[in-house]
Amino acid sequence: MTNLNAVDPAAVAQDAHLESADVVIGKSTIIFRRFLRNKTAVAGLAIFLVLTLFSFIGGFFTPWDKETIDPFNIGMPPSAEHFLGTSQAGIDLYAMTVEGTRISILIGLVVGLVSVLIAAVYGCTMAYFGGNVDKVMLFVLEALIMMPALLVVAVATSGGGAGLKRDLPSWLLLIIVLLVFSWMGTARLIRSMSMSLMQRDFVKAAQYMGVPPRRIVWRHLVPNIGSLLILDITRGVTAAILAEVAFSFIGIGIKVPDVSLGVLIGGATSQVQTFPWMFWVPLTVMFLLTGSLAMMNDGLRDAFDPSSSSTGEARQAKIRKTRAEKKTA
Amino acid sequence: MSSETTTGATGPARPEVERLHVAGLHAPADAVLSVRDLNVRFNSENGVVHAVRGVDLDLMPGKTLGIVGESGSGKSVTSLAIMGLLPSTAEVSGSVRLKGRELLGLSDKAMCEYRGNELAMVFQDPLSSLTPVFTVGTQIIEALTIHHPAMSRKAKEARAVELLAMVGIPSPKDRLRAFPHEFSGGMRQRVMIAIAIANNPRVLIADEPTTALDVTIQAQVLEVLHTAQEETGAAVVMITHDLGVVAGMADDIMVMYAGKPVETGAVDDIYYDPRMPYTMGLLGAVPRVDVAEKSSLVPIEGMPPNLLNTPTGCSFAPRCPLASDACLDGEPALASVDGQGLHSAACIKSDALGGDVDVHDVFAAPPVPVSRFDAVPRAERTTVLQLKDVKKHFPLTRGALIKRRIGTVKAVDGVSFDIREGECFSIVGESGSGKTTTLLEIMEFHQDQDGEVVIGGLSNKQAADAKTKARMRRELQMVFQDPTGALDPRFTVYEVLAEPLQNAGMDRAAIRKRIMELMKLVGLQPDHVNRFPNQFSGGQRQRIGIARALAVNPKLVVLDEPVSALDVSVQAGVINLLDHLRAELGLSYLLVAHDLSVVRHISNRVAVMYLGKIVEIGEVDRVFDNPRHPYTRALLSAIPVPDPRLERTRERIILQGDLPSPLQAPKGCNFATRCPVFAALPPAKQEKCLSLEPPLESVRPSAAAQALQNAPVHPYDQRFACFFPDGALDEDMLVVHEPAENHAP
Amino acid sequence: MLKYLAKRGITYLVMIFLTTSAGYFLAVSSLKPALLEQERIPRPTPEQVANSMRLKGLDPDLSPWERYVDWLTGIVTRWDWGRSPNGAYINAEFGDRVWISTRLFLASIILTLVIGVALGVYSAARQYKFQDRAITSYSYLAYIVPAPIAYFLVQLGAININETVGSRIFFVTGISTPGISPGWPQFVDLLAHYVVPTLAITLVGWGAYQIAQRQYLLDNVNADFVRTARAKGLSRNQAIARHALRVSFIPVAQSIAFTIPAIFAGGFFAEKIFAWPGVGSWSIDAISLQDVNAATATLAYGSVIFAIGAILADFATTLVDPRVRVQ
Repeated sequence: MTNLNAVDPAAVAQDAHLESADVVIGKSTIIFRRFLRNKTAVAGLAIFLVLTLFSFIGGFFTPWDKETIDPFNIGMPPSAEHFLGTSQAGIDLYAMTVEGTRISILIGLVVGLVSVLIAAVYGCTMAYFGGNVDKVMLFVLEALIMMPALLVVAVATSGGGAGLKRDLPSWLLLIIVLLVFSWMGTARLIRSMSMSLMQRDFVKAAQYMGVPPRRIVWRHLVPNIGSLLILDITRGVTAAILAEVAFSFIGIGIKVPDVSLGVLIGGATSQVQTFPWMFWVPLTVMFLLTGSLAMMNDGLRDAFDPSSSSTGEARQAKIRKTRAEKKTA
Repeated sequence: MSSETTTGATGPARPEVERLHVAGLHAPADAVLSVRDLNVRFNSENGVVHAVRGVDLDLMPGKTLGIVGESGSGKSVTSLAIMGLLPSTAEVSGSVRLKGRELLGLSDKAMCEYRGNELAMVFQDPLSSLTPVFTVGTQIIEALTIHHPAMSRKAKEARAVELLAMVGIPSPKDRLRAFPHEFSGGMRQRVMIAIAIANNPRVLIADEPTTALDVTIQAQVLEVLHTAQEETGAAVVMITHDLGVVAGMADDIMVMYAGKPVETGAVDDIYYDPRMPYTMGLLGAVPRVDVAEKSSLVPIEGMPPNLLNTPTGCSFAPRCPLASDACLDGEPALASVDGQGLHSAACIKSDALGGDVDVHDVFAAPPVPVSRFDAVPRAERTTVLQLKDVKKHFPLTRGALIKRRIGTVKAVDGVSFDIREGECFSIVGESGSGKTTTLLEIMEFHQDQDGEVVIGGLSNKQAADAKTKARMRRELQMVFQDPTGALDPRFTVYEVLAEPLQNAGMDRAAIRKRIMELMKLVGLQPDHVNRFPNQFSGGQRQRIGIARALAVNPKLVVLDEPVSALDVSVQAGVINLLDHLRAELGLSYLLVAHDLSVVRHISNRVAVMYLGKIVEIGEVDRVFDNPRHPYTRALLSAIPVPDPRLERTRERIILQGDLPSPLQAPKGCNFATRCPVFAALPPAKQEKCLSLEPPLESVRPSAAAQALQNAPVHPYDQRFACFFPDGALDEDMLVVHEPAENHAP
Repeated sequence: MLKYLAKRGITYLVMIFLTTSAGYFLAVSSLKPALLEQERIPRPTPEQVANSMRLKGLDPDLSPWERYVDWLTGIVTRWDWGRSPNGAYINAEFGDRVWISTRLFLASIILTLVIGVALGVYSAARQYKFQDRAITSYSYLAYIVPAPIAYFLVQLGAININETVGSRIFFVTGISTPGISPGWPQFVDLLAHYVVPTLAITLVGWGAYQIAQRQYLLDNVNADFVRTARAKGLSRNQAIARHALRVSFIPVAQSIAFTIPAIFAGGFFAEKIFAWPGVGSWSIDAISLQDVNAATATLAYGSVIFAIGAILADFATTLVDPRVRVQ
């Protein structure tokens, strides 16, 4: 209630009274606490943060980089000099993994955040205007869903001609293509949610009070779809990382000399029998990355869902009960 | 009315009797269902909820027991426990005997033999209680197949048709193949009853069977239940929160509070001689549709206990105006009121409450508030809202590729009325009558509307600029039906109340002051302003909604079913508050409600709507005491009154069917398809109803009255739209339950 | 119903036309087959390249719009989808491969649906028991593995089994053994080639269905109409099996619209990894050879698959939900 501080001393006194009278925890605090109570989610967050940190400072722990060839160590297993061994070309795998992780996280974060942003703007616009605007925008959206993203990625990243494309690093190109094809599902969800929110009485109440539409969207709509947006960001990040790996794996996403987890995994498939570490190390990193995000997503969903905490506890109670029953039996 | 049902323990040798009760030995031999010491506990997040605490009841064949209580009183849990339909996590103890056989402790499989066979149930929400993917016929036949596997397909189908006919579904043979979504709510509830009585049950439990339905449909469904009981001879348990619904039906009543029966007895005992303050409060909290005399309703303050902790005293004591220290010392048991009869109450003061104790004195009902406008003649007061010929038509289209217009839904069809300062004007009608659309047309006034809406002297036709609109907006505010949905869950009460004030451009200090004022005005503690809506009860949330509406000092408050989502006892408090505010602040109300008792209690004038048109309008006491339009008469007769003697002898008009679809509406009078007068008219007169639209006409005093006055007399404030208001009513639509000698036909 | 389907069909035709056209412009502006041609040895002169391209209808000197008009005229008048830079006809190439892919997708879609829904029901019936936890955890795991990597792992597993057993049980690449005698041996050979890719696609695909079906069924287990069914005299399990199950299929039927394209995309990866000569691997190879017409043709194929999926979903929904039947 700090924003209500007035010069009027009586009001200040009343404020103090209010604060002491009843401790009300803000909704975000409740959600944050619930998230922290969820061990899996916190572990997920920790793993994700460690990986991000690793991708930025991991490079300082080795003298090698992703381009320098070590002619004396080609296709070597992990050693003191090369923590994770070297590739067939004699490049330090540790340095490449650090670089690849960074690119993968970058792609994930950018695509996840920006696509949700696009989806929010697009979805809210559809819901707000409705009518023909909604119809046309929905048609565009469905047409985009219809386009097989895979082929467009293939076309876009293997194009040889246009000058723009030659100047762009392949990861940026991939980000752009993924962005174009990643926001439609969320946009549709936001559209239907905003539409049902517009029908809710509290929005109507604000309209009947004469509150301007902009303020209604900002104060009533956005906070009420906020949880959905946050969930979709983590989901979008995961999906983008997975898509990058999948595309690069079959050779149509990130192109050498750029590295990413997908490139590393894909490049090692032919030697998985002879040089297993080249395959399994980046794969493990990818698992940690997507797994940690999935764990966070799960925890966030539980934290946002007002009914889930009770079901969670009931579930545990039930398990305890059945265990006790088994013991007595 | 004799009472065959015994409930609770009687006599001085209590422990002995109780032991016998538990053993089920004390039960009358002819009871079809005997429940003894039924207890239900649930595990919840916060601990064990003791939802039902020691219910005893005996049910005689062919008799009806009404269980009355507010939400959370344990009445539904009791019925589900009897049916064995509680989740497996519930702990049920005690004894439930059906014709001497113990049902508690039977496995789900063993219970199946009784459920749907000797023991049947009708649930509250007909919309969700039927499986959407199977036809109605399949679902009825399933009930037959389960208990009569040998029955032939043909016989089952014939029986299903017979059942549908019995519950009053037209052309039952064709409707067998219809899916639930093709039926209206009332029709689905009839199907539910058909399923329940399919195997001639001995006990039929109806859990709030009419709560979700319109009054006219409620009357139909209650009638069907009555028929079903007569056909099957089953004992009926009627669970409801509405004291009116059971008044005419039940032989015995059990009032439940906090999981325990607090008063039981024959229906007349409970209604005319209540001995437990809670029962008295409930009866006093319900407004009467048939009484013109104005008195405040009895509010029961506070909330029911949460049942997590075993009460150490009377569970009603915290809300009871008569509570003394003795009440807190141990929970009182049900004890016979006069030492020998079957009327028992769980109150240590029950003896003192007999006779002429007025419930208004007990509960300290507030005095009837008087508005400063009440003394001013209506014609001299300023008009705050005027509607002139407002119409709202929706095109009804069909066709996938090219939309064809096949008709028009005339949701609002030429509605005109005005509201003066300080008065409450109500619109009543079934759902689909256009009353809510009328409200929306007023709230969403704009220039291109068909018709004129004048708010505080400003017409919608002038509302071109934002400034005029804002001025009009400030004149009227709205209170919504669902108090939970109307408050943004992410706003504190302070933010909720600050929104209209900020919008009006007030500065922070003024907002703060105003909010504190508002909280006090609606009877909330000012220091609760930083709580979130979910920390309040339903009644308190509605008070917040009212405070928000009053924030900018409007002249007119639009109330959309303001109390229909609230419990009876809470409802009384909110109605009293609205009454009080109208008098104190000189407000005008536009109220939309389906509950005619509430309307009669609070309003000065009323309009009855049917299919988008006003069919009768006028001063509330005139319209309710002397209804001229057959639809008004039907609506009024459909309202159950919490007065068993009156209810038993009342003549009731049961309208046939549902509101017709807009396509079936006749050219002339909309109501002709369901009209009880029309049905009895000779064909020549019927022709007039079908071809001409009756205009709204004033009621004039009778010639005799005019002669008496010996001067030109003004017409009454009552107008109606019917050609034959004095026509005889069709016999088939009239229903009286008691033998004819009790009343003159 | 027919009218409704016709309307949907027309909408989708328009959409397919638009997406395909957009795809063509994208491909034409980014794929430059002439550049690849110039890297051939002996290096042809630019005139030679242009000439050869012009003969195949891939004239690089024309504007994208002119090429689009030519291309579209070819399709509309002769159903001719053009030629590849190496001279092959798209129609013929496509015709050879489309059935290989379609067979693979069809088998996988049916298996994915059936297994996913069945496991969903099974795990819902055993909520919070070991079986439920194991199955549901697996499904969540499947969600965080990219499809091609999962296929690759399945392939590795099959190779390992072959090695352990010492004989070739599974074929991990290709669609048939060359020179096998027709009849029964050919059929067995076909099956042996089909098993691993179909299994791989199914293993990855069913997870989403299992989770969804489990959730929908659990949502309905305590529905009012299940209580009504129990009040009629059905036991809890009977009531769930007869009433809740059918209702819980409705949202699953609706989601078919999105599975079919997903399986289609998965099929592309699978063809690439298992070296199947289907539409997927062909198109990816063709695109790396800067083949404009092949890219557009597969894009159109993808859009058609999506439309079929959406219409099938409508059909399936109508089948299980009487409420949408009345139009």
